[in-house]
Amino acid sequence: MADRPEYQTIVLRIVVLAVLGSVIGLVVALLALVFLEAISWLNNFLLISPSERFKYVDNLKVLNIATVLVPTLGGLVVGLVLRYLVDARRSLGPPDTILMVQTHTSGESVRSGLMSTLAAIISLGCGASVGQYGPLVYLGSIVGAAANKLKLNKHNLQEITVASGVAAAISVAFNAPIAGLIFAHEVILRHYSIQAFAPTAVATAIGYVIVNVVFHRPSLFLVEFDGVQHGYEFLLFAVVGVLSAFIAISYAKGILACDAFAKRTRIPMAFRPMIAGFILGVVALWIPDVLGIGGTTLRFATIEGAFQLSELGLIIVAKFAVTVLCVGFGFAGGVFSPILLIGILFGALFGGILDNFAFFEHSGVVTYAICGMMAAASPIVGAPLAMILIVFELTHSYDLAIAAMVAVVFSNLISTRIFGRSLYDVQLIRRGFDLSLGRRNAVLAYEKITSLMHDQYLRFDAEDKIETVMSKLSSGSHNQGFVTDSNGGFIGVVHFESCSNRDPSEIVKYAAQLPHFTFTEKTNLIEAVEALRIVNLDIAPIVSSTDHKLLGVVWNYDVMNAYLRAIERIESEENASV
Amino acid sequence: MRRSRIYISLILIILPALAGSQETQTLTISSWGGAYEEAQLEAYILPFEQKTGIKVSLVEYNGGIAPLRLVYSSGKSSMDVVDMTESDALAACEESLLAKIQVSLLFPAPDSTPASRDFRSDAISDCGVAHLLYATVLAYDDRAFSDEKPSQVADFFDIEKFPGKRALQRHPKSILEWALLSYGVPVEQVYDLLSSERGLRLVTRRLDEIRDHIVWWESGNDSVELLRSGAVVMASGFNGRFFDARINHDLPISIMPDGQFLEFGVWGISRHSSQRELAEKFVSFATSTESMAAFSNLLPYGPTRQSALKRIGLHSKSNVSMRLYMPTASSGLHGSIRADSVWYSQTERVRERWFNEWLQSSR
Repeated sequence: MADRPEYQTIVLRIVVLAVLGSVIGLVVALLALVFLEAISWLNNFLLISPSERFKYVDNLKVLNIATVLVPTLGGLVVGLVLRYLVDARRSLGPPDTILMVQTHTSGESVRSGLMSTLAAIISLGCGASVGQYGPLVYLGSIVGAAANKLKLNKHNLQEITVASGVAAAISVAFNAPIAGLIFAHEVILRHYSIQAFAPTAVATAIGYVIVNVVFHRPSLFLVEFDGVQHGYEFLLFAVVGVLSAFIAISYAKGILACDAFAKRTRIPMAFRPMIAGFILGVVALWIPDVLGIGGTTLRFATIEGAFQLSELGLIIVAKFAVTVLCVGFGFAGGVFSPILLIGILFGALFGGILDNFAFFEHSGVVTYAICGMMAAASPIVGAPLAMILIVFELTHSYDLAIAAMVAVVFSNLISTRIFGRSLYDVQLIRRGFDLSLGRRNAVLAYEKITSLMHDQYLRFDAEDKIETVMSKLSSGSHNQGFVTDSNGGFIGVVHFESCSNRDPSEIVKYAAQLPHFTFTEKTNLIEAVEALRIVNLDIAPIVSSTDHKLLGVVWNYDVMNAYLRAIERIESEENASV
Repeated sequence: MRRSRIYISLILIILPALAGSQETQTLTISSWGGAYEEAQLEAYILPFEQKTGIKVSLVEYNGGIAPLRLVYSSGKSSMDVVDMTESDALAACEESLLAKIQVSLLFPAPDSTPASRDFRSDAISDCGVAHLLYATVLAYDDRAFSDEKPSQVADFFDIEKFPGKRALQRHPKSILEWALLSYGVPVEQVYDLLSSERGLRLVTRRLDEIRDHIVWWESGNDSVELLRSGAVVMASGFNGRFFDARINHDLPISIMPDGQFLEFGVWGISRHSSQRELAEKFVSFATSTESMAAFSNLLPYGPTRQSALKRIGLHSKSNVSMRLYMPTASSGLHGSIRADSVWYSQTERVRERWFNEWLQSSR
């Protein structure tokens, strides 16, 4: 039996976690609704949404001017907002959330976060071909991070609150609470602990209730489906998965390449989105389906005969190209919604080809469209389970979920081998955080030893006499010193012992020995630990990797302590119960 | 002859001005003719005349808001009370062609539940009171298909499987929805997808497929007549008319359960009516629980008041249970589609234009 005070603490903790989850769920749901409504209002007002454009079919002049001008000017505003109001000078998204949670850092400022969200609303509102879920996830994490500031004095609070916020955002956006819960674990937390699971589940459920019971938002799409008719079709689902993997890989690589290209062009970043917006507008004159999130096009994709095959191919290529352009050239927004659309159109194309050319029967375009959608989207976010659950929650069809599962699994298998777990993870690797090493190693590898650097050590000039050196080494607490040249360049280490058998009038330069290793400002915790495991060294120099100057030293003791602290933290996160 | 006409129109103009002093007052009400009009007469128009001494003059009206506009520009009112579709009422209201209607003029239920709670929540709008829920349905001549009978909306567009002429209302309504439904579009998404060029293109494609097999009808009775005469094998039409043909006239007409297009019938008062008070008197009489129930026991159009719904029983003449034939009967609800009157009022111009272009292109 637990004694009374501890029992009370546990109850209190449970209550705190549940209340926290509910509050975060509520706030995120309301903010997410504002976000979605603002975009939809802008879309209507600015003649982006198909239903508004439809009313202007007999006023083509106005329609065409709006089609080109709205994304162009929207791009300019987005560029200026990102350049001057967001510290990171780019839009923030899931990779920032992942980094924040995994490394226990505070991330970008709340102002930057809100401005990035605003930029996303303008981007999406003006029809940029970017995703809405990335900004929503980040919005969820802003709320979570704010809740963390309540100082509730709990372990692992930050990851719990942020995960709750993200889960609620996905729950609201997709009308899929279970998928929201799983997404937060698969993408953000990267582990399952009861401590995080419970409040996250509460938050996602609250989000669902708000959207469904209070506000009645329509689903992303609805399908009519009678089930998979033939066993052999599962083979075809796998084929869709494999092909979708290649689409996803080219999409991810395209975005990264375009991002790099945009930076090389030397166009000021504030004006880059405007250029993308202009090109998007011109393409949209011809293929309006590329504008915005493309919800209507997405719904048409599941309808047999809604597109001709050539038309499908054209929209896929155009949407792919403008999305890569919009994301690469710095519109604020995610990468998920466009790949959903590309995937579903590809699936529909696959189904259509079967319709026209296959000699066997199949269950209709719907299955292939859904398989294509999820199989293409899953490698981008690295959340196969969440994708399968989204299908299940959106369509309420067990058959479709199983079909999507087959496609998603094959797609993830291939893309992970060729590209990486997700676009987010690859973007994070480029920022020095490599989750493919495993969670523990990623965290350790992200922490640079410069954070443990000391400047209290004995430093000698190369021209100093041995006798001076020896007297300093014998008088103080240090038993070794670090020798630098007149420019501060590192020469080597001297020990009392290594000086004792030398001529006292000699200069220390010749007594200095290069240590077995030196660290640089780039050395991370895991590399330091690996080095210190091999050579027993109390204190190691950190030398600049560029000009070889001595920056400072690091104590073995500190390195080991930091290492153990990080591991303990991760252990506690993953095994915490309440 | 000509002279008498002039007198009549003179009287029509002067009459309202002298309304107070005249002994018999005449109220002009539009109706849709046929079995519908007969039921209206029996259920509440004749009782209204008897009770109030006011004379009701019925004029024919086949939908749209043009007749109301005409009233407005010519400066005289040819209709005081208009029995119109929900979307027409909304469009007319937006163009200020209808007078505002106060909820307070509606009678409470017999158990004195106030009208505001007795009516369906969506039944009372700014310038209209919905008095019934009717369905535009697809029906077929049972004799034409001896083997398999059409049962899905898609069957209506399937000329190979179900050959023969089809009768459709010459109006860009319900056919849009049916054409999209025939592709398997879920009911909930029909209006979203119709609001796009691609949606309309799909509709056009479907209609093109049956273009040479369409016979157009304009007044509600025509569709029954076309089926009866064997001129067509399938037809769109109002559920009440088909019921009347089947039950009262023993015609072999069957209604498809799929794709019922539900809409309110709405009473509106012309803003230009010079007899506003009489018109209001009529609307409150015709929407009373007793009137609604009496009407629904003659023709299966669903009443919009809870208290009237409870009074639906057997058909006044043939003793069949009216509940089974109501548009709200559960057998037809799956796959039925509720007309989005807001969408209709917003897209009137686009729809008209598209429809006329399509009709032109057929020649």
